[in-house]
Amino acid sequence: MKIRNDCREWRELLGAYALGHLQGDERAGLEAHLDGCGRCREELASLQPVALMLPHADPARFGPAPQPPPELGQRVAATIAAERERGEKHRRRRLFGGFALGGVTAAAVAAVLLLFVFGGGGGTTGPEQQVRFADLPAGIKIDATLQPHAYGTEIHMYVHGVPSGTLCRVWLRGPNGASYPAGTFRYRWGDDSDAVLSSALDLSRTRAVVVDTGKRTFVAPVNSPVAAVQIDNKEEAT
Amino acid sequence: MIPETLKRGNSARGALSRERDVREAYAAHSGELYGFAVRSLGDSGLAEEAVQETFVRAWRAGDRFDPKIGSLRTWLFAILRNVVIDLGRARSVRPGVAEGGVEPSVEPLDEALTAWQVEEAMRRIGNDHRRVIVETYYRGRPYAEVAEELGVPEGTVKSRVYYGLRALRVVLEEMGYED
Repeated sequence: MKIRNDCREWRELLGAYALGHLQGDERAGLEAHLDGCGRCREELASLQPVALMLPHADPARFGPAPQPPPELGQRVAATIAAERERGEKHRRRRLFGGFALGGVTAAAVAAVLLLFVFGGGGGTTGPEQQVRFADLPAGIKIDATLQPHAYGTEIHMYVHGVPSGTLCRVWLRGPNGASYPAGTFRYRWGDDSDAVLSSALDLSRTRAVVVDTGKRTFVAPVNSPVAAVQIDNKEEAT
Repeated sequence: MIPETLKRGNSARGALSRERDVREAYAAHSGELYGFAVRSLGDSGLAEEAVQETFVRAWRAGDRFDPKIGSLRTWLFAILRNVVIDLGRARSVRPGVAEGGVEPSVEPLDEALTAWQVEEAMRRIGNDHRRVIVETYYRGRPYAEVAEELGVPEGTVKSRVYYGLRALRVVLEEMGYED
């Protein structure tokens, strides 16, 4: 057996020892050295966790690491940019106020969900339209965004300032004056969400959005630059 | 190492809230994240999905990243781990989608992380060190035989095994591994 005079020579056997590869005299000699050498014991202790991890690895995978395709970075950037834009748009809409979805009927929700799940005519078929309700009473804000679909029109409603709990009914008005129901919702103070409603009337044929808050009816023109029309058909609340 | 722009500054939002920050984070860490995603999901398409979702979630939660608590890399890996679990669950209810990979769950995922760490560390150490560890440990070949093949004394093979394990230890620590 080779005579080993210093720590370095013993230490260089620690790798093989940690892997369980040292045999016979060499192993016995190293163990005797370890008994009297704290530094080598420390060094062995630092290698043992690594040795215990080795069985987990697959040596067939030690070659070049798989690299993500170059376009993945662009996809990530585009996804985040799109999400940021949606967020900014949403925040802009919030300026108009909020309300609760409490009054939306289960049937209306189910109809929207079914269209969403089963696709087909569920996708948008053109650009959305912002609808403005102008000349509103002080403190009341109403805003709507209309999105065309094959099934009709999706309506995002934003209301603020009417008494909490107010039941709001929404219709779309067609070219011949006929009204197409779009559903109901209940406005709640402090709720910042928006109501998503739908109507069978095509956006291209929609001439106005009508919102009835129980005490007042508000009408905003669609596909027209004319200022909003407000119809008072009920008495003002006291 | 965290780019300066990723450290929390005076901005109202968090460190990963700007798209430029995400691009820098992607440039620095996407390779590793993708490697681990491929390793754990066994499918390159799913791995791309996982990496994309990781950066989107990181961007959404940019406010919550605090470099005082841990590195950006560690944070991204924690997000990826959750994404992989979610993808694994989604895949488990869609049998037949997996391409021969093991369905991930929490336990196998931790094993996959350990495996990936060692494999990545093996790639980063020197060829000579990796070679002797592969030959003696993974292929179980006698040291004398490996020494002869390499044209070096047997003692050199043993010392390379030692320095190879040390190098692995250093690389694993750089990668955030702790005992």
